[in-house]
Amino acid sequence: MPPVERLHLDHVVQTVCALESVVLRSFGPEGGQVLFTRDTGQAMLSRSGARILTALRLEHPLARMVVECVLKHSTVTGDGSKTFILLLASLLRMIHKMACKEPNVSHTYTSRQTAEASTARHLADKILAFALEELDDLIGMGVIPYGCCLSWEDFTAKKHLSGPSNNDCVQKLLTSFFHSRLGRSHCDFISKLTYELLTHWKFKRDQPSLSLEFVNDNLDALHTPVSGFPISCSRLIEGQVIHRDFATPCPQTEQKAVKAAVFSGYLQPKLLNAGQVLQLGCGEQWMEENSKNNRSIVQFSAWTERSLKCVFANLQSLGVSVILSAVKQSAAVLSLAAQAEMCVVECVSEDELSLFAQLSGAKPVSDCWMVEPEHVATLTFCRPILLGAHRYVHVAFNDSEERVTVKPCSLVICGLGEGQTEQYTCAFRDAIRMLLSTWEPMGMTATTASKRTLQSTKSTSSHVDQIPNVPPFQQSGLQPGYVIPAGGTFEFLLHHALLQNGTSCSASDDIVTSGLAVSQLLANALLIVPRQIYSHSPRHFLQAQARFQTIIQNHSHPFSLVYKQEHSSIFGESAFPLEEDKLTKHRFTEADVSAKLFMSDSGLESVSCKYQLLLAVLQCLSSILHVDTVLHTHTALHTQSRRLANTSWEGTDDETED
Amino acid sequence: MALNGDDKDFFDWEPPTEAEMKVIQARKERQDKISKLMGGYLLKGYRMLGDCCDVCGTILLQDKQQKLYCVSCQELDSDVDKDNPALNAQAALSQVRERQLAAQAAAPPALPPAPAPELNEGPSTSQASVLVPQPRPEHCEGAAAGGRALLPLPAVPSPTTPAPTPALVPPRAPVSPQSPVIPPLLQEAEEAVLIKLRWATSQLQSSASLETSIQLCSLIASCANSLRSLKELSQ
Repeated sequence: MPPVERLHLDHVVQTVCALESVVLRSFGPEGGQVLFTRDTGQAMLSRSGARILTALRLEHPLARMVVECVLKHSTVTGDGSKTFILLLASLLRMIHKMACKEPNVSHTYTSRQTAEASTARHLADKILAFALEELDDLIGMGVIPYGCCLSWEDFTAKKHLSGPSNNDCVQKLLTSFFHSRLGRSHCDFISKLTYELLTHWKFKRDQPSLSLEFVNDNLDALHTPVSGFPISCSRLIEGQVIHRDFATPCPQTEQKAVKAAVFSGYLQPKLLNAGQVLQLGCGEQWMEENSKNNRSIVQFSAWTERSLKCVFANLQSLGVSVILSAVKQSAAVLSLAAQAEMCVVECVSEDELSLFAQLSGAKPVSDCWMVEPEHVATLTFCRPILLGAHRYVHVAFNDSEERVTVKPCSLVICGLGEGQTEQYTCAFRDAIRMLLSTWEPMGMTATTASKRTLQSTKSTSSHVDQIPNVPPFQQSGLQPGYVIPAGGTFEFLLHHALLQNGTSCSASDDIVTSGLAVSQLLANALLIVPRQIYSHSPRHFLQAQARFQTIIQNHSHPFSLVYKQEHSSIFGESAFPLEEDKLTKHRFTEADVSAKLFMSDSGLESVSCKYQLLLAVLQCLSSILHVDTVLHTHTALHTQSRRLANTSWEGTDDETED
Repeated sequence: MALNGDDKDFFDWEPPTEAEMKVIQARKERQDKISKLMGGYLLKGYRMLGDCCDVCGTILLQDKQQKLYCVSCQELDSDVDKDNPALNAQAALSQVRERQLAAQAAAPPALPPAPAPELNEGPSTSQASVLVPQPRPEHCEGAAAGGRALLPLPAVPSPTTPAPTPALVPPRAPVSPQSPVIPPLLQEAEEAVLIKLRWATSQLQSSASLETSIQLCSLIASCANSLRSLKELSQ
C-alpha cells in the first residue's frame, strides 16, 4: 500500500454507506436487534447504536473517525447514534450527487475528482454555516409552535386536579426512549422507576436542572447492578448502598442512631514502603536508659500501635461505631476496631464517599489525630444488605433541615445476565443524559433575536389570522424543554420550514441561489429519517407526509390529528371539525395539549436533542470532507501499520501538485 | 468556485443522455448493493481495512482467517464476469464453439458439408449439442470476433438446448457414428476439455472465494465426465 493515499469522495461515500447499512436494520421502533457473540460463548442482544458501532472491527481511518464522532455525541445526549449515521450518509449522497452534476472541467482543477472534492467541501461548509446561523430560528418558527413545553417546576409536584399533566409527558418521553432502546416489553416499568428516582432526588430550592446534573454525576454511586433476576425485580431502596462489605463483624444496634466517621487515609501510618529508607531515632533520655533496645523496628511498631489505641479511644468517646475508609486498613486497626465493637468498611470508592459526605454533612477525616464532632455523621441505620450474590452496606440518613426535600434513594437494576444488566444500566444512564439535554437551552444571540423579529413579521403576514395568539418568538426560542411527537415529526416540520425559508430567501436576497440549494439539500436529506422509520410500509410514509402537510397548512396541532388518525380509518377526513377550529384559535399551552397528549400514543422526543444531533452531524460532515490525504505510519509496537488521517486545508496545494 | 462557475464552462456541460442516465442508475444500484453486502459482512465480524481493491476500487474486507475479500469482485457480477468461462455457462459454450469453429475452418473444406447432416441427426439424440456451426450472437460478446468470421455456414435448428441446461455441462462431444471423421473431432474435443481442466485446476489452487471454488470444482467434474464419454466414444 502506498504511504500516502488520496482520499476521494467516492471512498468517503462508500465508507459511510457501509456503516449506514450496518445500523439501518436496527433503526426505528420497529428495528431489529443485533446478536453479539463472543468466543467464550457469551451472547447478547442489543439495539443500541453506540454498542453496535463500537463492536465493529474497523481499520479504515475515516470509518473510525465517524464512529468516534458518534460516540462523543452519544456521551453528551445519550441517544441518536443511528440517526447520526443515517443523516450523515444521506447528506453525503446528496452532496455527491450535486458535486457530480457540476461542470466537469474548470480551468483551476486538473482532475475531475479534485473538482468534485472541492465542491463537496464547499457545500458542506456552506451548510454548516447556514445551520449555525439560522437553524435555531427555523426550529423556533417551524417546529416549536407544534410542540409542547415541559416545565421543570411541575415535574415533581403533586398531581394536579386538572387531570393528566406534565408528569405524564415526562414519563412519556422516558417511555419512548426506553422503547426504542430496550424494546416494548419493559419500557413502561423502567421509565416509571426512573421517574420515581428523579422525583425523589429533586432539590426544590435549587435550579431544576441541577438535580438532574447531580444524578448524572453520581450515577455510579446511585445504582447497583444485580444479575440473575428478572428486570421486574428492580426497585428503589431508601438511602445509599455502599458497594463494599463489612471488614469486621457488624454488631447489632437497631435501636439507636448510628454514628459514622469517614477516613480518607490510613489510621496506622504505613511507614515502610518499597524503596524507602526509614531512619529511626529516639530521644536522648530513652537512649541512655535502654541502650540495647533503641532503634529497633519492633519497638517502633509497638509504639505506633499504642498510639492507635489513643485514636480509637477518641473515636469511642465521640460515639462512633462505623468507620468508612477509602483505603485498606492494617490488621492492627481491624483488630482494635473489633475489640472496640466498631465496624469497618474498607476500600470504599471516592464517588461513594463524596456522596456520603454530601448527604450526611460530615467531612472526611484527613488527620486521624484530630477527629472532631464535625467529622461524625449520624445515620438512621447501617446494616448489611444482600443484593444478588453480593453483600453490601446499606445506610440511611437522618432527616435534617437541609435535606427534608430530598429523599436519598438508590436504584437496584436487575437483569437476567451480566450483559443484560449492563445494557439496562447504560440505557438508564443515557435516559438521564437525554433528559439533561432536553432541558438545555438552544443557543441564541442578540443578532438572531433581532433577525427573528424581522422574519416574524414576514411569516405572520403569510399565515393570516390563523394564529392570533402565537407567543413571541424570543420567548418560545429561549425556553428549553420542548418536546414533539416522535415518529419523524421533527424532520417533516423542519423540512417544510427549510423549503419555505429557501424560497423566501431567494426571493428577497440577491446573494445566492446557493442559499436555496443549501436549504433544499438539507431539507431533502432530513427526510431519510421518517422514510426509514416507516420503511416497513412506504404507504405509511406517504400518508404521514401528507398528514403533516395538512397540519402545517391548517396550522392545527399535530397531537389532535394523531389522536384522530388512530380512531378514523379514512385518512384526511376530520371527524371533529369543531375541535380543530377551537385549537387553531387557542394558545398552545400545556393545559390545552395535555389532554390530547395523554390520549395520543405516538411517544415523545426532545427538540433540543434533535437540534444538537443535526449540528453534530453537520460538523462531522464538514470535517470528514476536509480530509484529503491519509498518511500511513508504522509504529514499532504493532505488527500492522497504523494509519493517521491528516486533516488538511490543502485546497491550493492539490491544484498545484496535480 | 465551481458553484458559481464561469459561464464558458456552462456551455461545455450538457445534461446526461438517457443512456448515460441508465449507466448512472445502474452504477448507483451497484453501489447500494455493495454497501449492503459490506454492512452484512461487517456485522458478521469481518474487518474493514483502509485499503482499496486494485481492480475495482472498493474498500477491502478481511475475514477472521486474515484473507482479503473484495465484495464487488468476488460476489457481484462485474462487467467482465460475463466473459469468464468458469462463472458463466454461456461464455463457456461460446469459447468451446470458437475452438470448434477454428478447427473446422482448418480442416479440409469437403468435410464441413458431410458432418452437417449427421450433426443434424446427432443432436436430436443427445441433450447438449455443442457442434453448432453458427454460434448464437446473443451468447458471445467475447467470442464474437471468432464467431462472426464463420457466419456463412448454415444455421442448425438444434441450438435451443444450451439455454435450459444448467451450468457447465456443455463440453460434451455429440454422438456421431462416422468413424473416419470422428478421431480428429474427438481429439479436438478431448484437447479442449483437457485445456479447460488444466485451467480450472490452476484457478482452483489460487482461488480465495467459496463460490468460485465450488464452480471450479463442478467444472472439473464435468470435464472429467466429458473426457470419460469421449474415451467411450473412441472405443
